Amino acid sequence: MALMITCPVCGPRNGYEFRYGGEDKGPRPAQRELSPGDWFQYVHANDCADGIQKEWWVHRDGCGVWFTTYRDTTVNREVPPPEEDA
Amino acid sequence: MNRLRALPTFRIDPARRVAFRYRNRSLHGVAGDTVATALYANGVRIFGRSLKYHRPRGLYSLDGECSNTCMQVDGIPNVRTENTPLREGMQIKEQNVVGSAAFDLMAFMDKLDRLMPAGFYYRSLHKPARLWPVAMRQVRRAAGLGKISPDFRYGGRCDEVYLNAEVCVVGGGAAGMSAALSAAESGLRVILLEARPWLGGCFDYRPGPSQDGEPLYRRSRELLRSVSEHPGIRVFTHSPVVGHYTDNLVTAFQTGEPGDAFDYRYIEIRSRTVVVATGCIERPLLFEHNERPGVMQVGCAQRLARTYGLLPGERAVFSVGHDLGLEAAVDLSDLGLEIACVADLRQDGHDEHLVTQLAERGIEVLRGWVAARAHGARAVRAVTLATLDGTVQKRLDCDLLAASAGLTPVVGPLTLAGAQMDYDAHTGAFLPSELPPGLFTAGRLLGLHDAESIETSGRLAGLQAAAHCGAVDAAAVVELQAQAAALPGPQRGSKLVTAPVKGRKSFVCFDEDTTVKNVRQSIARGFDIPELIKRFSSAGTGPGQGGIPGHNLPLLTAHLQGKPPSSFVSTTIRAPLVPVPVAAYAGSRHDMCKRTPVHDSQKAAGGVFRRMGVWRRARYFSDDFSCREEVRNVRENVGLLDASTLGKFRLHGPDALKALQRIYIGDMSKMTAGKIKYAAMCNDDGCVIDDGVVVKRGENDYYFTTSTARAGATIEWFRYHTRYDGWEFHLVNLTDAFGVINLAGPNARKVLEKVADADVSNEAFPFAAYREFTAGGGAIAVRAMRLGFVGELSFELHVPSSLMQALWGLLEEAGKPFGIRNFGVEAQNVLRMEKGHIILGQESEQRTNLLDLGLGFLWARDKGECKTVGEAALRHAENDPGRLKLVGIRMQDPQRAPKDGALIVDRRIRGYVCTARHSFTLEQAVGLALVEEPLAGIGTRLDIYEDECRGELLKAEVVAVPFYDPDGKRMRM
Amino acid sequence: MFGRTKPLWDTGPELKSGYDAVIIGGGLHGLATAYFLASRYGMRDVAVIEKRHIGFGGAGRNTAIVRANQRTQENVPLYKEALDLWPVLTRELDFNLMFNNCGNLNLLHSEAAVNAARMNIATAQFLGVESHLIDARQAKEMMPALNISEDITYPIMGAMYHPPGGIVRHDAVVWGLAKGAAALGVHIHQHTEAAAIESRHGKVTAVATSRGKILTPRVLVSAGGYSAAVIHRMLGLRLPISVLTIQAMVTQPLKPLLDHVISSGAYHVYANQTLKGEIATGAHMDPWPNYTTQNTAYYVKHQAEALVEILPCLAGVRFMRTWAGLADMTPDMAPIMDGNHPLEGFYMDCGWGYFGFKSCSAVGKYMAQYMAEGRCPEILKPFALERYEQHRLMGETAALVSYSPDN
Ligand SMILES: Cc1cc2nc3c(=O)[nH]c(=O)nc-3n(C[C@H](O)[C@H](O)[C@H](O)COP(=O)(O)OP(=O)(O)OC[C@H]3O[C@@H](n4cnc5c(N)ncnc54)[C@H](O)[C@@H]3O)c2cc1C
Ligand SMILES: [Zn+2]
Repeated sequence: MALMITCPVCGPRNGYEFRYGGEDKGPRPAQRELSPGDWFQYVHANDCADGIQKEWWVHRDGCGVWFTTYRDTTVNREVPPPEEDA
Repeated sequence: MNRLRALPTFRIDPARRVAFRYRNRSLHGVAGDTVATALYANGVRIFGRSLKYHRPRGLYSLDGECSNTCMQVDGIPNVRTENTPLREGMQIKEQNVVGSAAFDLMAFMDKLDRLMPAGFYYRSLHKPARLWPVAMRQVRRAAGLGKISPDFRYGGRCDEVYLNAEVCVVGGGAAGMSAALSAAESGLRVILLEARPWLGGCFDYRPGPSQDGEPLYRRSRELLRSVSEHPGIRVFTHSPVVGHYTDNLVTAFQTGEPGDAFDYRYIEIRSRTVVVATGCIERPLLFEHNERPGVMQVGCAQRLARTYGLLPGERAVFSVGHDLGLEAAVDLSDLGLEIACVADLRQDGHDEHLVTQLAERGIEVLRGWVAARAHGARAVRAVTLATLDGTVQKRLDCDLLAASAGLTPVVGPLTLAGAQMDYDAHTGAFLPSELPPGLFTAGRLLGLHDAESIETSGRLAGLQAAAHCGAVDAAAVVELQAQAAALPGPQRGSKLVTAPVKGRKSFVCFDEDTTVKNVRQSIARGFDIPELIKRFSSAGTGPGQGGIPGHNLPLLTAHLQGKPPSSFVSTTIRAPLVPVPVAAYAGSRHDMCKRTPVHDSQKAAGGVFRRMGVWRRARYFSDDFSCREEVRNVRENVGLLDASTLGKFRLHGPDALKALQRIYIGDMSKMTAGKIKYAAMCNDDGCVIDDGVVVKRGENDYYFTTSTARAGATIEWFRYHTRYDGWEFHLVNLTDAFGVINLAGPNARKVLEKVADADVSNEAFPFAAYREFTAGGGAIAVRAMRLGFVGELSFELHVPSSLMQALWGLLEEAGKPFGIRNFGVEAQNVLRMEKGHIILGQESEQRTNLLDLGLGFLWARDKGECKTVGEAALRHAENDPGRLKLVGIRMQDPQRAPKDGALIVDRRIRGYVCTARHSFTLEQAVGLALVEEPLAGIGTRLDIYEDECRGELLKAEVVAVPFYDPDGKRMRM
Repeated sequence: MFGRTKPLWDTGPELKSGYDAVIIGGGLHGLATAYFLASRYGMRDVAVIEKRHIGFGGAGRNTAIVRANQRTQENVPLYKEALDLWPVLTRELDFNLMFNNCGNLNLLHSEAAVNAARMNIATAQFLGVESHLIDARQAKEMMPALNISEDITYPIMGAMYHPPGGIVRHDAVVWGLAKGAAALGVHIHQHTEAAAIESRHGKVTAVATSRGKILTPRVLVSAGGYSAAVIHRMLGLRLPISVLTIQAMVTQPLKPLLDHVISSGAYHVYANQTLKGEIATGAHMDPWPNYTTQNTAYYVKHQAEALVEILPCLAGVRFMRTWAGLADMTPDMAPIMDGNHPLEGFYMDCGWGYFGFKSCSAVGKYMAQYMAEGRCPEILKPFALERYEQHRLMGETAALVSYSPDN
């Protein structure tokens, strides 16, 4: 396995320049009324998809941007966004 | 032993002698020899003994496919001497022998095979249980091939290179060279990697004719010339590919030649495309005693003569399954080897021209015959040949048996890259049925035998790679494809799995002494697929890394179960494809670590440094690690601490405040100029991940500090938690731009007054204030904060890094009359603990949230919905009584502080001591501990259990913090 | 001595239409649970279903380190019992699990690490598990290959020495448990993949597999690194897990060199010598989730760089083989063992990260009790899933969770 990640600013780069930032779970929920269950879903629970997932990365040793990409976790390759998301 | 007269195919220089030592004897080889060929030239036939049975082992291949010729070279064990170049002065020793390789006292093991069926150790040695430890020691001693001294130090030089290319060609034979040329002619950057020390592959030593009638070796030298003249091709010889990862990341490791500036070199290549043209090795023939010294592969015999000038024997029998075997017999006969007979397991399909040539030399070819048994105890004396069904046999005397069942494509790089492999009925090999993007194949690997086909396939693969990179158009590829299709295709491969033998010693894997019988036993035990047989019988897990059993094991597994050969595939091939010295991977050591601007000053002052994250920091300033004097001086006079490693940031922009409100648990909207705010960041669990101070330097312009550990992650953290918001703010990491001096102690002001250009009196610059002024007569801009981490009057001075040493020097000078001294991180640790101040990670861990630390006052519940990180978790956990809370403790015995990490116990564990010290200031033993909430009340008596205490508990009591100066008068002075 | 060669276990039992219990995953935990169900609770009508062959997952890929010097009192007793069970199982299964209790040396490279280790050591000693703090010299005496000079990135200041730990032969555990379970009537169905869990009125009724439906009132998911994906797909239940690859490798076999397991947190490396003589080493994990079970170039290099610092003689040894498996990591480095939620009769045993080998014997025993009795044994209660929602992380690691996976 090797990893290439495409930074929206810098283009395709060696995966070790980046840091993985978790599955995409949507915008941060309001904190005031957040129930323990919903908090758990947002903070700790994962789909753990063995397939394509939308996920966050930061170009840590590069431009520093946070961005989402799609990756097939079974082959560890970036893939184009699925139809409905394009 | 005399070498042959010079041949044009030599890779040795017989005129240049190379001296080496073997078993305390001084011997000579010649330049170009490998260690094993030099030994062979000196008459050595037994190189070592096998792992389990201690059978004699000789030269079998020349490419390190098995451990037969593994020896200890210059103190390094398991060196595959057959492809390790001989160097002047080398010290060679045999391994895994008691006595010598020729006369090994352990040789009796060979008779004990009945006691050691496949997986025997799982089913024995454990009864009775008390004998197992004894047996285990014996097993450990018997196992393992080579020996390394714990004091061994590798003295060679190791290099690393990281390259980029459009096309990386693996394998420098005719196909690989052709591929490199056609790709380079399209204007691409090409890297060509070859495992042997020279390019040429299997053309290199063969006198047979190429397409234009010239000998193959001459043809390969022509290709070599074109390759070396092409500026677009970078060639790495003696550089086997060891890894191949997704997206064509290729790793190789190179052995330096004499004169190179390195001994080993790690090569990592990111290439758009890869052409694999690794050719074939020979598929070992399975027959009784198929690994006796004197049995060797056909190519090994031919290369011994052609490349190294050594006639491999005197009288030979060949047992082959491929035209290369016939070709080698003709050639070796012409070089002077007597050949008794050539058995070819194929009934038909021979190159009749070669058969005629053999006949002309009076050499009989037996079609449909195969070697069934080698005779001779320590070397081959004779061989029994048999028809394939075993019904007819004959015995011939010989001292060399050149044996091979056919060819095995070298597909390692392909499988590592994720190619799908399947059994190919025509060649009888496991070939790629599907290749990942950007990967191409060429040459003998595909079963090609015809010289022109091999070169054309190479050119085609090079062109395909170029087309993949967009350097040529598809039409050119199609055209060449048509040309290639008109040439002879892959040859039919031999399908024989094992010779008709009854014996117990036909070896599937030489390294592990795994026999055909062991495979049968494994299947009977229920291990019926190659992957499991490999595990149960160890076949293919030795230093040859599957070279010998790789192809045969799946075929045999199917054969023994009466299944078609397509039933299984080879066991998974794993990196590294050839064994790589740990030193080569480790490369050159480069320890990266930051030093603060006053590192040298502190060193001169006796600082004892420790690595802390990316930094080196002075932890102590004497060898009294209790830091009694350092602490006293801060409490009584004044001390200087280098706090430059603190994270320092500027945050500005229209949405800066929103970002602060999201990240800090407090309310950051009510800050006033000139005043510092102590604030904490939590994570979503409500745990404090950082604490520091924030100052507002202007509208939407903030300066804040973080702990040393968080400096690297802070920007990422801000951006992560605001990533959906589209806010406009800028974060600048100033950690390295500013140094920080903590000037602390009752005399601190007296020192600063002499240096600062501003009024630093308590009225002008009170506690918790922030000021900017200059020092040293306007030369040094200072950002100053009045803080009280150590509990004394103190100033935290932030200065541009380049000026920090200057300010430090000024303070030291000015402080002389006031007893100024350095203090280190440990003294600070004691000082702050006396004050009840926490250090994150020391007084907190994963289970500790803001409230547990008693820092609830930092949480602004009324700041509105800012989606503040950690807020929800704090709310949920607020009234949970089951949490660990931070408390102060005082020991009953004032002299006896518990060690950090000691437990608070009460039948079960109910907390632990985070930090505890005998406080010289207070003349008490005090500390901070995390305890279950019911024990957290002031006055609670605690029992403390220390490691090695043997049940003797220490007594403590929960007391209020701070222990020192509870009203905080001293820091407000 | 060996009798007539017959299969260690029945490799082709008939797939029945129903079982008292179905276990998804023929790994360490699945097989151990099956064995204990049959041997301790008399529940023999059990099917273990495995999508490939038994031992395909972490069971066949781990480096077999066992120890009981965990950080918390919730964990230590479980691992202690697991250690005590190796000799018991060796006898019961009549299969040599090759327990080499050579002891573990956990190297400490800073004052902070020494203090943190003290807490582990005190915890172990308090709970009756042997563990000691030793200094660098003592460590060097025990392991002459160790480099205790100041001249390395993280000089060694001491070590946590844990004598009862060591290594066990991983394959032997898989095969021994399979042999033992099958002999008691458990059916092991290889090349059978679980596809769905069916239920009625909140109770498990059946497991759908690639070879047909199996009726059963109870099912255990012990699918190792695949558990989180399987459970999410089958029940829509999302777990606090990140699935990473963890890699390992061995050098060529050597005569005895390392007499103990050694590990170093600062260097991210551990090493031990197998009975075959190979130095097995690993630890680094690439911090992004994936299911490839493939190695990375970075890993090998990183591991070599670390090894030559602490065990410099290994510079002259050759790496021979690398491999990788899955590690299902939870935020608090402790597993999730739970039952009867969200369905009655549904059990899970996952999140074992890289600790699932050393625990499997004891966990099998207690999960079997859980499934047989339907009530959670006291010792497993702290491992319930709800602890995350209740903000009660387990404390097996001191490190903070930031966004996952933390590195
Ligand atoms: C390189 C490496 C080193 C390690 N080192 C150690 C160590 O030193 N010490 C230690 O304690 N632990 C170690 N571990 C961790 C340990 O191996 C695992 O925690 C352990 O194997 C988990 O056991 P398990 O039974 O839960 O899962 P596994 O052993 O992984 O078994 C799960 C099985 O479920 C099967 N499966 C998955 N999905 C399905 C389905 N849908 N249907 C049917 N079957 C399915 C899989 O094929 C697999 O065989 C290591 C792991 C790795 C990868
Ligand atoms: Zn970028």
